[in-house]
Amino acid sequence: MTLGDTIWIWIGALLTFAMLSFLYKDNPLYRFGEHLFVGVSNGWSLAFMYSRVIKPVMIQPFGEACRIAGHEGLKPELFNPVAHANFLVIIPGLIGCLYFTRFITGMTWLVRIPIGIFMGYYAGLAVPATFEGSVFPQMKDTIITRGYFAGTPTGSLWAGICALIILVGVLGTLTYFYFSKEHKGPLQWGSRVGIVFVMIGFGASFGFTVMARVSLAIGRFAFLLHDWLRVIS
Amino acid sequence: MNWAKLTQIDRRIIFITVGLAILIPLIFPIRMPVGTQRVTKHLFQAVEEIDPQEQVLLLSCDYAPQTEAENQPMTVAVLRHCFARRLPVLINALYVEGAPLLDLAMHQVMDEFNAHAKANADSILYGRDVVYLGWQPPPIVPILSMGRSIKGIYPVDYYLTPMDSLPLMTGVHNYDQVGLVLAITPLASPLWYVMYARTKFGVKVGAGCTAVCAPDFYPYCRSGQLLGMMAGMKGAAEYEELVENEYHPGGRRRATEGMASQSAAHLLMMFFVIIGNIAYFSTRRKS
Repeated sequence: MTLGDTIWIWIGALLTFAMLSFLYKDNPLYRFGEHLFVGVSNGWSLAFMYSRVIKPVMIQPFGEACRIAGHEGLKPELFNPVAHANFLVIIPGLIGCLYFTRFITGMTWLVRIPIGIFMGYYAGLAVPATFEGSVFPQMKDTIITRGYFAGTPTGSLWAGICALIILVGVLGTLTYFYFSKEHKGPLQWGSRVGIVFVMIGFGASFGFTVMARVSLAIGRFAFLLHDWLRVIS
Repeated sequence: MNWAKLTQIDRRIIFITVGLAILIPLIFPIRMPVGTQRVTKHLFQAVEEIDPQEQVLLLSCDYAPQTEAENQPMTVAVLRHCFARRLPVLINALYVEGAPLLDLAMHQVMDEFNAHAKANADSILYGRDVVYLGWQPPPIVPILSMGRSIKGIYPVDYYLTPMDSLPLMTGVHNYDQVGLVLAITPLASPLWYVMYARTKFGVKVGAGCTAVCAPDFYPYCRSGQLLGMMAGMKGAAEYEELVENEYHPGGRRRATEGMASQSAAHLLMMFFVIIGNIAYFSTRRKS
């Protein structure tokens, strides 16, 4: 292990203690660690974004197109969006720069243009994909067939019972969240079944969340004991 | 017994007891049996079924240092599995902060394997056996673009080497050559791959997720949209054990190391929940 590694491990250990000190109470050390993390994350992201995306995808192709145009004059190839050197890359760049107009009084309305493009693009992508990739296959999975019980390699009595439980859970939960009619009679029974499944779901989520947080604590303690103090091999 | 006092325990005492429950099993290790869930076995089997001569595994990671403890052991275990099988691997990062962690994991496992290698053919070589594609934002764009051309969206790798100069990339063009996408994440990226890549290009998808995300992914494992899953540090430990039992690659198994602490902390939490409920109901009855 080099001296450089040792220094970074010490910094990591001291920052770990700074963050854990919040468990006692809020203090300047914790706030220093928090701000340092935010600053380092943003700095890293910005530098990486510039060197790996903005520069190779926009600045270099545009600069190359300017260089070629300077030597050989304007050519149609310089407006080919697929070519490496082209002027068109500047258009999405300029549209992106409109985000900064929110800081200029009187021009803030221009920020709606990139936001509109962004939202339209993602909505167009996400809506059909969500139905095709999530809603329809999950609905299909609630359909109980004879194959669940027997006759297929995955079929068994237990698999069939599980499929029935899932069907009851889905119907019950949907009933619980049906607000267009007062929950009386069959709807009341359905919603009561639904709330049981909802509570079991919350319990499972809480259990998994505890597991996740304990895992993160294990990771930090293991770092302190293994890399810093070297008391475990 | 004065149950009212129990409801007023200082939270810092609880933090210390949880800390000790984690710390003591780490210092004095107890070997805990790691039972394997079906979803983890299915994921292992899905990686086993990829033909190394025909296809590669795409390891897509979008975790940051915050969830390193859960996700990094998954990445290391999967890389050990792939290298032990001589299965070529492509790695990509969907989240910028985690990009260096993948570089660390890749070099750690390469060094582990190359320490035992006697010849070039036994070694794990960058460019021939593994390629780190790097990071391109936003996540949906590389997920969709790789269906048409991997080199199109990643013209250079993480180290800025042109893709055309890497031997592995001569035969890998798009998802047709990807046997499985394994998304390791604290977010929803396995679902993005299911919704965009699987639906549109038919690629198989598996997941390695933090425990917080796991309940969201179980329905997709059941429907077969996800071939398998590692759920949290426990899932990582299960995968580490499966790889170790099958191929004996050695190396530190960080998730397995943490299982005794995990069990101790869970037992303590269960104790607190039970005691807290008893105390609550006792004080409510009195009032």
